[in-house]
Amino acid sequence: MRSTPRDINAVHDPAAATSRIQIRGLGKYFDELCVFDDIDLDVGSAEVVTLVGPSGCGKTTLLRCIDGLVAPSTGEVRIDGAPVVEPPEGVAVVFQHFGLFPWKTVFRNVAYGLRMAGVSRRAIAERVPAFIELVGLRGFENSYPYQLSGGMQQRAGLARALAVEPKVLLMDEPFGALDAQTREVLQFELLRIWDTRPTSMVFVTHSIDEAVLMGDRVVVLKGRPSTVHQVIDVDLARPRTRATTTDPRFHELREQVWNLVMSTPDDHNSVER
Amino acid sequence: MTAAPATHVGSAAGRPARTRRPRLPYPVWVKGSTALVIFALWELFTHVFAPHYVARPTRVAAVIPEVVTSSEFLAALSGTVVPIVQGMVVAVVLGTVVGLAMGQVRWIDRSLKIYVYGLFALPMVAVLPLVTMWFGYTEGARLAIIVFAAFFPMALSMYDGSRSVSRDYLEVASSFRAGRLAVWFGVVLPASLPYVLAGFRLAAGRALIAAVVAEYLIGIEGLGFYILLNARSFRHNEAFVAVLALALFGILTLFLARWATRRWCPWYRQGAG
Ligand SMILES: Nc1ncnc2c1ncn2[C@@H]1O[C@H](COP(=O)(O)OP(=O)(O)O)[C@@H](O)[C@H]1O
Ligand SMILES: [Mg+2]
Repeated sequence: MRSTPRDINAVHDPAAATSRIQIRGLGKYFDELCVFDDIDLDVGSAEVVTLVGPSGCGKTTLLRCIDGLVAPSTGEVRIDGAPVVEPPEGVAVVFQHFGLFPWKTVFRNVAYGLRMAGVSRRAIAERVPAFIELVGLRGFENSYPYQLSGGMQQRAGLARALAVEPKVLLMDEPFGALDAQTREVLQFELLRIWDTRPTSMVFVTHSIDEAVLMGDRVVVLKGRPSTVHQVIDVDLARPRTRATTTDPRFHELREQVWNLVMSTPDDHNSVER
Repeated sequence: MTAAPATHVGSAAGRPARTRRPRLPYPVWVKGSTALVIFALWELFTHVFAPHYVARPTRVAAVIPEVVTSSEFLAALSGTVVPIVQGMVVAVVLGTVVGLAMGQVRWIDRSLKIYVYGLFALPMVAVLPLVTMWFGYTEGARLAIIVFAAFFPMALSMYDGSRSVSRDYLEVASSFRAGRLAVWFGVVLPASLPYVLAGFRLAAGRALIAAVVAEYLIGIEGLGFYILLNARSFRHNEAFVAVLALALFGILTLFLARWATRRWCPWYRQGAG
């Protein structure tokens, strides 16, 4: 194992004491290809960590490891102290391409997690409408995904994840497939929803603005294989709203992240062959 | 992660709700005149060249009322249709389950694949003598041969569908901790609907052939045998009514499948259907 220079923020992080997700020495190989290596990360129980990095750097694979969908090659992920070996209870994912089942209506898609958890039909009928309402899909309960716009489909994807009342939310570029306007609307809605029910959240994005806007910390992944290149504390007040984006501090942080993402890996990391 | 190709309805970011191309009014006279031309030529040729007992459209039409009310014809009709329906039910259920299992479980795939492929390719006429050895010259033999004919296309189609299910759906299911049966029947089966339908059409056609061939060779009551008897006793017009009945039954089956799909799977939109 190779040690990586990391920002001191990650070490003195107060969240670490109460961290919900603990990632230690995580590495993933696909045959010869090492996607990422030696990743250490803690995420607090009401903390949003955003991951940025070039496409193909293993962000999706990292989320899959956290959700127990793929087994890491080295290291481990713990959630509330329990090692993750299969998809744990209390962890929900919002997928980049929505991942809705086209043969299910909005209601049934949103209810899916609850059904799989063995929740009774009656309880589902009571609980699901609140989440459909929360994401603004009232009136579309009986629509099929093909009848919805991309933004509405992702609202349903979000409601499905929220409906299981997860303690960990994993977001894989949730707004990456949407147009800019829809994307912005959903960003602020997600912030609003998160404020009413803060959870541990790992949010992958390739938008630097989005990373700064959503995150309490921004983790920059970089290198080949990827490692944690830098962790930036985002000291913007919550609740965050549209006004946050006009805050001069927002722009400073954005520049900081931008420079980190754009700098050549050799500045901080030696490239291993 | 890509949108699902198999189900035409995957993610369609930004698509406005409820777009549907208006169906062109297809003039009935186009279809109708094709039949008219064929009947006219047939009438003409038989009139000029054929002996008087050869079936002609006008004479077939003339005997229809008498034939379809005769107890002999009705017995033949139910004699063929009932075992086809029974056989199809068995073949569709078994074929779906076996094909699904083959696509999802490696050892089942390995142990069954070459046999399913082999028996699919085998002409059913070749096995008929063997079947009569086990079942005798009975209706049981006909049922067995119908199941034999319909099972393999159903199983193979479902096998293809089961293997081509988008990874995205499977990932969503396991992320929400779906059990094996929930994955099979809640995800793989509906995601394979296009394959199920293709398999059903193929199976229905083969079941029809199987029933008729079985009746020819075994000599048991049914439309096939009815055709054989009437043709041999120079009652070609009567024989032809039975042929039309078979064709009608085949068409009816396909329409029924289409109607059922529209009714119960509105999310699945066939091409220009
Ligand atoms: N199942 C897999 N088998 C082999 N290689 C894979 C697999 N999944 C991902 N990869 C590879 O891992 C790398 C990282 O992929 P991914 O995690 O999707 O990156 P990102 O989400 O950051 O774009 C890519 O080069 C991809 O080709
Ligand atoms: Mg990705």
